Amino acid sequence: MPSLAELWRRLLFFLGRNRLDRELQEEMRQHLEFKAQENLDFGMSQEEAGNEAARQFGNALLLKEKSRKARGFAALETITQDLRYGLRMLRKAPGFTAVAIITLALGIGVNTAIFSVVNTILLRPLPYRDSARIVHLWTTLPEFPNMQLTESASDFPVIRDGMQSFESMAAYREAKMNLTGRGEPEQLSAAVVSAEFLPLLGIQTIRGRTLDSQDGHGGNGKVVLLSYALWQRRFGGDTGIVGKGIILNQQPYTVVGILPRGFSFPNQTDILTPLSSVPEEQGQGENDVFVLAKLRPGVPLQKAQSELDTIAARLSKNHPDDDSGRKLEAVPLQTEITGHSRSMLLVLVGAVGLLLLMACVNVSNLILSRGLQRQREIATRAALGASRSRIVRQLLAESLLLSFLGGVLGLLLAIWGVDIFRVLAPAGIARIDELRIEPSLVWAALAISSLAGILSGLAPALHTARPDLNLALKERQSSAPATASRFPLRSFLIVSEVALALILLTGSGLMMQSLLRLLHVNSGIRTDHLLTMDLTLPQARYPGDNHLVLFAQRLMESLQQHPGIENVAITNSTLFRGSMHIAPVIIPGVTNERDIGNQAQEKSVTPDYFRCLGIHVVSGRTFSDRDVQGITRVAVINESLARRYWGSQSPLGKNVILGPNPEDSVQIIGVVADTRDTSLRVGPQPQVYVAFFQGSGAFSQKSSAGIHLLIRTASDPAALISDVRRQIWSQDKDLPITKVQTIAEAISESVSERRFQSLLLGAFAGLGLVLTLVGIYGVISYSVSQRMREIGIRLALGAQRGNVLQYVLREGAQLALLGVVTGLAGSLLAMRLLANQLFGIKATDPATLIFAALLMLAVALAASYIPARRATQVDPMIALRYE
Amino acid sequence: MPKASKNELLPGTLEMLILQTLTHRPLHGYAIARQIQQISDDVLQVEEGSLYPALQRLLVKGWVKAEWGTSTKNRRVRHYTLTSAGRKQLGIEAENFKRMIQAIARIMQTS
Repeated sequence: MPSLAELWRRLLFFLGRNRLDRELQEEMRQHLEFKAQENLDFGMSQEEAGNEAARQFGNALLLKEKSRKARGFAALETITQDLRYGLRMLRKAPGFTAVAIITLALGIGVNTAIFSVVNTILLRPLPYRDSARIVHLWTTLPEFPNMQLTESASDFPVIRDGMQSFESMAAYREAKMNLTGRGEPEQLSAAVVSAEFLPLLGIQTIRGRTLDSQDGHGGNGKVVLLSYALWQRRFGGDTGIVGKGIILNQQPYTVVGILPRGFSFPNQTDILTPLSSVPEEQGQGENDVFVLAKLRPGVPLQKAQSELDTIAARLSKNHPDDDSGRKLEAVPLQTEITGHSRSMLLVLVGAVGLLLLMACVNVSNLILSRGLQRQREIATRAALGASRSRIVRQLLAESLLLSFLGGVLGLLLAIWGVDIFRVLAPAGIARIDELRIEPSLVWAALAISSLAGILSGLAPALHTARPDLNLALKERQSSAPATASRFPLRSFLIVSEVALALILLTGSGLMMQSLLRLLHVNSGIRTDHLLTMDLTLPQARYPGDNHLVLFAQRLMESLQQHPGIENVAITNSTLFRGSMHIAPVIIPGVTNERDIGNQAQEKSVTPDYFRCLGIHVVSGRTFSDRDVQGITRVAVINESLARRYWGSQSPLGKNVILGPNPEDSVQIIGVVADTRDTSLRVGPQPQVYVAFFQGSGAFSQKSSAGIHLLIRTASDPAALISDVRRQIWSQDKDLPITKVQTIAEAISESVSERRFQSLLLGAFAGLGLVLTLVGIYGVISYSVSQRMREIGIRLALGAQRGNVLQYVLREGAQLALLGVVTGLAGSLLAMRLLANQLFGIKATDPATLIFAALLMLAVALAASYIPARRATQVDPMIALRYE
Repeated sequence: MPKASKNELLPGTLEMLILQTLTHRPLHGYAIARQIQQISDDVLQVEEGSLYPALQRLLVKGWVKAEWGTSTKNRRVRHYTLTSAGRKQLGIEAENFKRMIQAIARIMQTS
């Protein structure tokens, strides 16, 4: 085992090898001179003296070689030699080289690009200090299975003071705030944070100061930090803004600092303000916050979790009403942020992995074909004494050379691919904005290229380096034995390639059908000509529900005057964005408060909501303008809810309590059809609609009310947008209008991630098909060219051209069939991993499998057809003279 | 008729001999070869050239170092100097060699 110092010296010697060689030469020459001089002194003649000296010295050339070997990296020098030789061989076969390099570049390129994406999103630590130790705390309650709930602000100190495992904890809330006073009003995403928030994440401001514990406690007035993006976009990067005032939610705030570029935690944050400076929701004391915590160094998550269990148990004992069965759960921030993209990315990794294998298989086959042509060369080398391992090394050096050349091209492809990914990727993928072209891409390409080089080169090298010397060295024998069936390795490679391609094909087929089925699922809503937008009404201007109701009534009245508008409705819930309001459902005499699972999605809507969305009324009536505050509160339920609690009986006139207080009782006046309006994926949920004019329920963001405007238009909705804006601003010029889109666009956006994934998988499957096509074509053409003589003899002996065609096609078909059978089995195994991402289709869907298999066979036959056709056009006379 | 042949060196001993010749003072290549031949009364016939691969090995191992200097005849020659690591190595090799020679000697005596 050489020491490090020795390796270092070897390296130095290697780098200075030219100088060392000169010195050695000089030294040896001197030695001979000394010796000759001595011989002269003994009385030899000049010539004798020189010869004698040389004789005693030995073979100077060999000795120099030995000296070089003694000090150098013998392996390194052989490798250089191998590479030089390899390069020469590749240059001699430019066609082969080009095809192999392009094939490898495709495989390496897509893998490098996807690796880079996975590295950015899943592997790389979040850009916060000690991010691996940051966790998010969630509450879970048995009434709300599978949901992560926020903590109440009053519990925050209890948890903080009870935990030994955390070095710090921070609370934050997300809010929408309206920026007014300069230009158009704009709705900003605010993070409302406790003083520990920025230190916990290790974030400092780049201008001005950060938040301190005095902020928000009256002393400094209301203060705010701006995100870098907002600072640039809205204030032109003007440093003078620090210390100046801006108007948020109709109240003055002082800008005290600018956040660093790229910081947008938790969610596209534009501004950061201290927790205590935002007025809390009036009336109810509950004030929910998200909680971040940082584990002490070296403390494992399990230890923190067991401490949390103890605290949760104490909390449920202290508040048996709200908190029974409460659990606290610590989730690593990284898992939480990137968790939902994980399965999608892993599927893509699987797909590109298959592609790389296929590219390697293709190149293996190419090398193998060439290996057969080169058998005489190899045999000559073996006969001259090259060891098998030496020949394998030489051949591997060639395939590595190919794969590195492919890697360079692949790297360019990957750079391009990463760009495409970033542009096409739906906004929902976390951390996608961190994705950029960076040096790690080069390392990834290098690693993947090495893998590809070995994968594609090893089998052919081992195979080729074992030539039968006698056979190979005889001229006529060199090209004789070459049907694919007599070369099981080649057949094996093609069969596995077909199988891999089939797996890709079924995977992408299933994903695409899922997407189509999802898009065609009946949402229960008429989706054409329906315009939607979000409005945020700050509490400072609209302090109570009656203000909100008044605003809504006036706005709807003015909009309904417009000839292009058929219907207008307002609701407190968004559509197709995956979020919903959940209310516990208590039905006197049927359920009791503590029953698990008694919950429904609650929406408050204006009377025209059902007509506007085209939701079918099953029985009873919907809301009217007379259902206002002060009279009996009424509700409309959907069929799912009706069926669940009343079965076949009519629920009309029955009472339901939505929430913990008996005052939240509402009377059911109607039943409407089920809808899928949260997400197409989620089946109909029990839903209860309450009257917006009896209580909007819109103050969900504490300091402002978010409402959702729905407009059914007679013609193109886009043409009405500016009119609608004008109407809204004539009611309140400081109101930001966001998310202006049609319902069709909202639906399309809700499936964007899935569409993106299907698109990529489809592209990969297409690439896989092309690779297979080329692969089979290569093998069959090669086999035909090797059998020219045989085919010629057959034709000369009277075989029909049709027979020859059949004969060649059969060979391709046999291989393809074997591959398809293997691929089907592989698909059945692999698709189980995909099962949880499918919608409306089983992973074992026979139609998809059969279609994919037939497509594969068709491609295989098409690939064999061209060489088969060429075989039939063989002129027997020429074929017999072939070679 | 049996005769005592001018033996080639046992493999590996050349390096030890080189180290040994360098214990007292730095020498250049030719001088090393001369010294080995002279001290062994010409019994050890070194193929003189094979000195150089051996010297390269010793350089790589860090047991000797080489410097260009001037010889007594005022010519530019390369001197080899024993390093402290080389001195230690010589100790080890000499010890091993002694043990081996003694063992061989004992076998030769008893038979």
